[in-house]
Amino acid sequence: MLHDILWRSNLELVQSCLAHPFAQALGDGTLKTDLFRAFIAQDAFFLRAFLKAYALALARSDDTETIAAFYELIGGVLEEIKLHRGYAAELGIDLQRVVPNPACRAYTDFLLRTAWHTSLGETVAAMTPCMRLYAYLSRELVLKCSQLHPYRRWIEAYSSEAFGRLAEQMEALLDRIGTDTREVRNCYRYALQCELDFFSDAVGS
Amino acid sequence: MTTYSLIRNAGPLWEAATRSAFLNALAAGSLAANSFRRWLAQDYLFAKDLMAFQAVLLTKAPRNCHKPLTGGLAALDNEMGWFESHAAGLQVDLDIPPHPTCRRYTDFLLRCVYTQPYPVLLAILFGVEASYLAAWSALPLSGPYAEFIERWSSADFATYVEALGGLAERHTHEAAQEHFNEVLGHEREFWKMSWEG
Repeated sequence: MLHDILWRSNLELVQSCLAHPFAQALGDGTLKTDLFRAFIAQDAFFLRAFLKAYALALARSDDTETIAAFYELIGGVLEEIKLHRGYAAELGIDLQRVVPNPACRAYTDFLLRTAWHTSLGETVAAMTPCMRLYAYLSRELVLKCSQLHPYRRWIEAYSSEAFGRLAEQMEALLDRIGTDTREVRNCYRYALQCELDFFSDAVGS
Repeated sequence: MTTYSLIRNAGPLWEAATRSAFLNALAAGSLAANSFRRWLAQDYLFAKDLMAFQAVLLTKAPRNCHKPLTGGLAALDNEMGWFESHAAGLQVDLDIPPHPTCRRYTDFLLRCVYTQPYPVLLAILFGVEASYLAAWSALPLSGPYAEFIERWSSADFATYVEALGGLAERHTHEAAQEHFNEVLGHEREFWKMSWEG
């Protein structure tokens, strides 16, 4: 299966994300509130681009089954955006005035360029890593989440069965639509690199 | 060049985008061969995506703007052929992935070309071409790379840039300066990447 080949061939980037100081601090609850607030703001900016990329992918799909799958995935992002809005209200973030940091800008430019300008297979390959990575990281991090963990709600949203199903749905689309080309491999790998850079910018390194 | 308000209002960003250690070494004849080869390949990959940018931009342009834009596309086609022949001569592989810095620049261009209005896209293209002209025109026309310096400081190229500048001045937009400045930031990073790897 293509999704499995791509995931396995990029495991070192996945492990770098898991071992990253940002993911570790989020996981053990020591992440400073200011950094979490900035991360939520950047992530909300990112999600708007992700939502648009899904919409573009939907518009370029031919069969009803694929359109329905993207429709459901769009519903998933809207749920994520709700989660971010909740945090924004609690943490005093104005989501309309977020200025993307360089990593967020590079990632969203890449996603939107891919969605507007390249094939549907490349678009799905560019979007799958985010889904799978967050499902994977949150399942690792939730294991050491106590009841009093400050970021429990966030981690549980991504380690949920519902989110896991969306990640699987994305991977099923990748298997069905994508082909094992150099472009598809590059999109998948670059998206993971963008995820790692996103974490680095989130802790200011 | 400073007669253009986009350039004037960019402040120190303009200088930073048009001066580089890479170009200084190139003009002085002290540039390492590897740096030149890296720049050649990455600039070619950039030009490939710029071609797509200019092609989509053309579809949004009113009829009275077509002349300089179609001329620019033809010139870019010519330039890519020129790159290909130099790369073949120097045995530089052009079939490589873009450097992350090159990728960020072209992702920005191709995201914008589908999402930004025509005047903003003109400001972007003017930024790309005017900064390139200024960077090369500042160099003495001598040394091992004189042919390259001559190409991008030529009167033909300057005439094209002036035509783009004229269009950008006639088609203004509140987001034009911000995007022009963003181009200059990418230019600065591209030269830095060419020099440092």
